[in-house]
Amino acid sequence: MLVAEPTEPIIVSVNGTEHRLEVAGSRSLLSVLRAELGLTGAKYGCGEGECGVCTVLLEGRPVRACTTPISHAHGREVVTIEGLAEQGELHPVQEAFLEAQAFQCGYCTPGMIMEAVALLRQKPRPSELEIREAMSGHLCRCGTYSRIIKAIHLAADAMRR
Amino acid sequence: MRSGVASGKTGTGRLGLTRREFLRAAGGLVVAVSLWPERPAVGAAAGEGDRAGWLRVGEDGRVTVFAPVPEAGQALRTELAQLAAEELRLPISALEVILGDTHRVPPDITVCAGSAISTLGPEVRRAAAEAREALAKAAAEQWRVPPEQVQLREGRALLISDTDTAVPIGDLAQRAAEMRRAGGPAALTPPAEHRVVGKSVPSLDGPAYVTGEARYAADLRPPGLAYGKVLRPPYLGGRLLSLQTRAAAAQPGVIAVVEEDDLVGVVATRPDVAERAALSLRATWGQGLAVSGASLYEDLRASAELEAELASQGDVEAALAGARQGYSASYRTPFVAHAPMEPHAALAAPEGERVVVHASTQRPFQHQAAVAGALGIPAARVRVICPAVGGAFGGKDSPEVSVQAARLARAVGRPVLVAQSREEELGWNYFRPAAVIDVRCGVAGDGRIAAWDCDVLNCGSRGALAPYRFENHRVRVHRCRAPLPQGPWRGMGGAANAFAREVHLDYVASQLGTDPIGLRLRHLEEAPRLARVVCLAAERHGWRDRRPPTGLGSGFACAVDAGSFAAVIADVEVERTSGHVRVRRVFVVQDSGLVINPDNMRSQIEGAVVMGLGFTLREAVRYEQGRILTRSFASYPIPTFYGAPAIDIVLDSDRHDLPRGGGTAALCAIAPAVANAIFDAVGKRLRELPLSPARVRSAP
Ligand code: FES
Ligand code: FES
Repeated sequence: MLVAEPTEPIIVSVNGTEHRLEVAGSRSLLSVLRAELGLTGAKYGCGEGECGVCTVLLEGRPVRACTTPISHAHGREVVTIEGLAEQGELHPVQEAFLEAQAFQCGYCTPGMIMEAVALLRQKPRPSELEIREAMSGHLCRCGTYSRIIKAIHLAADAMRR
Repeated sequence: MRSGVASGKTGTGRLGLTRREFLRAAGGLVVAVSLWPERPAVGAAAGEGDRAGWLRVGEDGRVTVFAPVPEAGQALRTELAQLAAEELRLPISALEVILGDTHRVPPDITVCAGSAISTLGPEVRRAAAEAREALAKAAAEQWRVPPEQVQLREGRALLISDTDTAVPIGDLAQRAAEMRRAGGPAALTPPAEHRVVGKSVPSLDGPAYVTGEARYAADLRPPGLAYGKVLRPPYLGGRLLSLQTRAAAAQPGVIAVVEEDDLVGVVATRPDVAERAALSLRATWGQGLAVSGASLYEDLRASAELEAELASQGDVEAALAGARQGYSASYRTPFVAHAPMEPHAALAAPEGERVVVHASTQRPFQHQAAVAGALGIPAARVRVICPAVGGAFGGKDSPEVSVQAARLARAVGRPVLVAQSREEELGWNYFRPAAVIDVRCGVAGDGRIAAWDCDVLNCGSRGALAPYRFENHRVRVHRCRAPLPQGPWRGMGGAANAFAREVHLDYVASQLGTDPIGLRLRHLEEAPRLARVVCLAAERHGWRDRRPPTGLGSGFACAVDAGSFAAVIADVEVERTSGHVRVRRVFVVQDSGLVINPDNMRSQIEGAVVMGLGFTLREAVRYEQGRILTRSFASYPIPTFYGAPAIDIVLDSDRHDLPRGGGTAALCAIAPAVANAIFDAVGKRLRELPLSPARVRSAP
């Protein structure tokens, strides 16, 4: 029989806003973002870290929100796809995905974009192989992989300018 | 983006339109063309009858297009907007497209949701052309000139001889609506004059996708939302014998444990609670189906029953007996899963006597009928709205999840979201039918194929008829008792049928020592559009005759599906010892009729190739004793960034044809192209999918 866990408030900054959450620490970051905070840009695809559609940035690093307990985000900063644009201006990676039309159904797109943002921060000029490696944990059933690679190259170019 | 998001917000509000909306709608020009004059009013409340047609010009000048199939990644919204904008001489931004909402759109007339554009496109195009002519007539009447002297431009009607004389189309809508009734069919803008159609207009949904604003069914958050989780048996066909719910019901946050006939589900205030509580349900189950994948193909053969003879030309038996050489072989393809990134989800919200369901499906009307049936209420009281759909591929027709959500929502009297887990998605959906296809082929003294006899087991007739001219030609389709639930899948049986046919032709060509493309062309005299893409592919790819196997190889295949013609050449590299196949490049030449949006057409073809490579190389549903074993991406690996090859596409389209769905023809041709390339590379003939390393290693 399961007993409700004792809860201590979890303090987490999401897209620059601080939240005090009364939730079980073992609950996934994804579940909290989606169900408690109404931030549904990060998607559920597998819950097991195998598809990448739930990817958000935790302290600037890409994590699978589905397998990250919310307790790991305590006292830390989370950025989701909703927090990427600044003052209504799309992030260059978002612009590049539009330019390359690197989506079909759009379901994998937020996770792809978050991973690509993190990649370009680490490696401003990734090679095609480096892109494939960095993105390899992300699945797109619509098969837009080559467009996503192109979008990341475009974004890299745009960000250097 | 408007529609996807907006429908999410309004859908959970009142069912009917507001009075203002109704008046505005009623005052505008509603164009309903072809099969249905005007849809009868659904429901009792005034205003709900406003869903008559395909297109509406409001008195405010706004143009709205309505169509039954939602956006699921084919850029249907964008392409329909392009067609309407073209005929109405409007910028694309002046249009709104409402898709997949049973209370606002015309009924579904598509057979295959994936190529919906070929059925819906012409309707919208005609509706828009009719609206244009009616608007021009209304203006002509006002100015007392013949209608030919009036032109539409950017939302206004202008007098050609004096373009300062102009009136906004909204002001003409009322009169045009009256005049349209007298008018006949309108002239379509000829392709040579197209300005919007044929342009790579960016997807109207793109901005919502890249900002995370697109709302899929599981993203909607109406007030009072609860989360449902249903109980599944451990194996197919398992019947519930006993159930203890106390532990589940006692968990804080559980609203109810619902037991209704065959439905057992937990409803909770939070998704994690619903999941945990469902796990703590104690159930015992009766025996299930004792089906196992090990005997799949024997099971199909053992239960085969002739369903239809598609072609019977000449005397196949006599021709086979009299042939100089005969070649027969069997081809096999397993069950495969759709595996969209968005698992099925449905949110049902009861509103008094009615229910609104937001469902991840391409078939809102089927879901409406099923929910109405399950709840025992008239269909008019069920409104199904498709929000953004995260991929479907034919796999989201079944209304099961919508029905579950609606029943749970009724039981607890508040909105309930049922969102499937990946495990449920891969384990409890229907699959693409597995197939066994037997081909017997006889070659005459002149090297022509004189007899072609094909028996198709279980995967149906789509693509079963060869596009080639064979003097003696017989195709028999057999239905089987399938061990697993099966249903539509992108391209249906087209992929299995093309696999058998195109590998067999390559086999025959190699036996005859003739070029496989040349052999095909000899039998394509009566299929000029296919012959054309075949020739172009050979030319542009730099196709050369077979060489001795070197580990590198090229394979050819072609297919006709959904009115599209595709010729595909795959370049592969095969590691002999490991059996590993790497597809380096795929070359596609395709004719898809009138191409509305070339960049989207390319994207659909790229997607078809990538998805096709999944079932070509790796995917197969495994099952044992009624249990699906492949219920995660680890056990059911779909294509990844690593496998994605370079894809070169040449569009060579006959724009005088209808617009055709472009996302399946290449998907049908890719598996045989790769199998034929493997033969070219290492001399091994593979006749069963997937072309896994183990099969490559063990093939003779
Ligand atoms: S949902 Fe998190 S990796 Fe798939
Ligand atoms: S765009 Fe549909 S899953 Fe990637």
